[in-house]
Amino acid sequence: MLFLALTAAVLAGGGAHAAPAAVAGFSYVRSSGGIDEYRLDDNGLSVLLVADHSAPVVTFQVTYRVGSRNEVTGTTGATHILEHMMFKGSEAFNDPKGNSIKQFLERVGGQFNANTSDDRTSYFATVGRENLEGYIAIEADRMRHLWLRESDRQSEMTVVRNEYERGKNDPDNVLVEQVTAAAFVALPYHHPTIGWRSDIEHVPIAKLREFYDTFYWPNNATVTVVGDIDPAETLGLIGKYYGVYPHSPQPIPEMYTEEPAQLGARRVVVKRPGELGTVVIAHKVPNGRDADQPALEMLDAILSEGKNARLYRALVDSGLALNAGAGTDLHRDLSLHLIYAALAPGATHEKVEKALLDEVARVKSAGVTAAEVESVKQRFIAADAYKRDGTAGVAGELNEWIAVGDWTLYVDFPKKVEHVTPADVQRVARRYFTEDQSTTGWFVPVPAPAEHGS
Amino acid sequence: MIRRCALALWLLASAGAHAGMAEHAQRSHTTGIDVITYRTDVKDVVVIQGWLPAGDAFSGTDNAAIPTLTGLLLDRGTTAQDKYAIAQALDSVGAEISVTVGEQSAEIRAKCLKKDLALVVGLIAAELRTPALLPEEFAKAKQQFIGELQSSLDNTESRAQEAFARAVYPPDSPNRPHSTAEFLTAAKSATLDEVKAFHTKYYGPAHFTLLLVGDVDTKQALAAVAKSFAGWTGGEDFIRTSGAGTPPGPREVMVPLADKPSVTVFLGQSTGLRYKDPDGLALRVGTAILGRGFTGRLMSTVRDKEGLTYNIGATVTEDSFTGGGWELTASFAPALLDKGVAAARRELQNWWKNGVTDKELSERKQGIVGSYLVGLSTTAGLANSLMAALQRGYDLTWLDQFPAAVNALTLDQVNAAISRNLNPGTMVLVEAGSVESASR
Repeated sequence: MLFLALTAAVLAGGGAHAAPAAVAGFSYVRSSGGIDEYRLDDNGLSVLLVADHSAPVVTFQVTYRVGSRNEVTGTTGATHILEHMMFKGSEAFNDPKGNSIKQFLERVGGQFNANTSDDRTSYFATVGRENLEGYIAIEADRMRHLWLRESDRQSEMTVVRNEYERGKNDPDNVLVEQVTAAAFVALPYHHPTIGWRSDIEHVPIAKLREFYDTFYWPNNATVTVVGDIDPAETLGLIGKYYGVYPHSPQPIPEMYTEEPAQLGARRVVVKRPGELGTVVIAHKVPNGRDADQPALEMLDAILSEGKNARLYRALVDSGLALNAGAGTDLHRDLSLHLIYAALAPGATHEKVEKALLDEVARVKSAGVTAAEVESVKQRFIAADAYKRDGTAGVAGELNEWIAVGDWTLYVDFPKKVEHVTPADVQRVARRYFTEDQSTTGWFVPVPAPAEHGS
Repeated sequence: MIRRCALALWLLASAGAHAGMAEHAQRSHTTGIDVITYRTDVKDVVVIQGWLPAGDAFSGTDNAAIPTLTGLLLDRGTTAQDKYAIAQALDSVGAEISVTVGEQSAEIRAKCLKKDLALVVGLIAAELRTPALLPEEFAKAKQQFIGELQSSLDNTESRAQEAFARAVYPPDSPNRPHSTAEFLTAAKSATLDEVKAFHTKYYGPAHFTLLLVGDVDTKQALAAVAKSFAGWTGGEDFIRTSGAGTPPGPREVMVPLADKPSVTVFLGQSTGLRYKDPDGLALRVGTAILGRGFTGRLMSTVRDKEGLTYNIGATVTEDSFTGGGWELTASFAPALLDKGVAAARRELQNWWKNGVTDKELSERKQGIVGSYLVGLSTTAGLANSLMAALQRGYDLTWLDQFPAAVNALTLDQVNAAISRNLNPGTMVLVEAGSVESASR
């Protein structure tokens, strides 16, 4: 589950921000907080550049604006399987040639990976600056020249299935999956990003090819480069390797489904062997760009962060829970807000659920204090400095705002949180946390069959 | 500063130059504490890491839960402030302090803005030196510890890890953990007096090391340490037994857990080797060729070609203070368990018997050095590397020497370290999960 690590922004701390680079073939779009946005004119590729010369390393990331929200029944998990297939080689860079992406990046000591969420798929690496061009060349090649072979799908399917199985080892993971599926009826957030098992096993290679040919185009991607870069030189490299591709032949399809109104409280119970129970209370809240999200973020911090947090005092300190918290899985469309607690030994689901709801009710009826709000603001100010320590962290957080649909929120969202008032917090709690709009889940451990090892 | 020093390391790695990250660190004994400061180019951020010998291994034959319970009580109030006041002090400046207890060490990690360094160092000192150790907080810590132990009973990774470590490390090794059942029993009977006695005996400056990395003014940092830790006494040394030898017992251990669609597998042994021993680095580099990353032999065959697992790798572990271990870890669906374990054993046997190749070694050396340098690009990464070097018994110059030490390894050294220190024929296999539904 993705809980955005929300921190205050503005990268440009310290020096003056340089003028945008002027490179033929690129249009300058805008700047915010030390981040410059460009567009590759011929094909619409978006580029974000963040110069940070504190270490001789660079993080390069490409974000495709396609995630599990673009899947339908039968192809659930296809975005994620395609992410795996992206490591199987491309025409110019592959294992037989000894220059595949993993061979190159591990040889130069790059730290790399890829991941898929509801709203985006991303590929990224942090390398010494002298290896940036080598990585861009490989990443660009696999945008349009990926090998997509049935033999690779067959061997990778079982790999992905084991990833799915590992997730199912954790009852809390299963609980959140089922709560999410109950909360979203029509929106594709209903199904987990990794997909349903039967779809993972049976999606044909032709469907993966169709997915790739629909969504893996420069005009559906954002390249982010953070680190020890010369902007003009970096744009030149991006143009050299990505400029060879045209705009997608067809428009990128829009996901047009809307969630119908929820007409009453929903409940989910997961029963399976385990040790201690869990309670999760979910509410649908607006998309990640919505003006109410900063107040919800403030509320979550007041409920969750530190030993003075309300849920810690009410549930952990009182012996009802081992931990408790709240947070929002920010989405491009409707987001999902969760309030949760892991039961302490001897605690009952009923008591824990009531304690969680009581804390929400307290915010709705009495609000939060100015001191609580001020404390959260101070944490955001400190987080502003922390986030500048490392290129991968900056790229990773930008990635999530790109997914939500507006990268400038990386800079602006923390500022908006700093303007939240106690009245704002009370207002959003009253507006969104109603019983009729809730989906409550319990994980109830049941006894395991008798164990006998050797 | 990181930029300049890391650039120097690139030169060092390729040309054997005499550059020095160590020159940019300052090490001193301040009020009996080993203090290292390292200034980097990051603005305003300071990362603090400290560790002292107060881990679970120090419970000896006494109550096994006491070291962890002591650690849990450190941030639950001091003699001067209750836990809410401490939390408020940290929240008001966006600072963080956390304490974890491992087998050997109690470890403190903190992060703050430069302007708040004295405040945070003062809070760390108060938590370590004068925790309130209140009866009501002790009761809560016990309940939390018991709950976490109970939760871990359902986790295939922690169950496999525990069974493996108990099967491969001899009784006198600090790497041999108490079982969860032992911890549960101990936690229930633990007393606050035992915690107080443990704190008095083990929490002191004698073997306490404190790193302050980032936007650090050394003079101000040392002044803050001197002020906050003045007059502190006591502390014990780390346990440094060889940890060699394998206890008697079954070579194959099953930990059945119901309704687990993925089985966690550990295969390995204790080695008795410390990182700093002559074969230590060679075995690590050789092991990386087998089990690190996507190009390691295990991932490239058992995952990439055969599709048997999402995750498989091999690593050398727990060798900083005492003789460590070697472990191959993987996850398999129950239906693919036997096939997966057989594939892992096949790769292991081939690697052990025939060794690695010149090409593999050359590429892996480059990758390890490159990855090391990339890892130094953040304050936390640099602090972690400093901590690892010091815990392994090196001085600060190891940061500069590491790339050259890796590059100097020969094929014979690596292959000899593999064959000399490992024996696949006697390794312990642990499988945790729904093993009864495996196809066997």
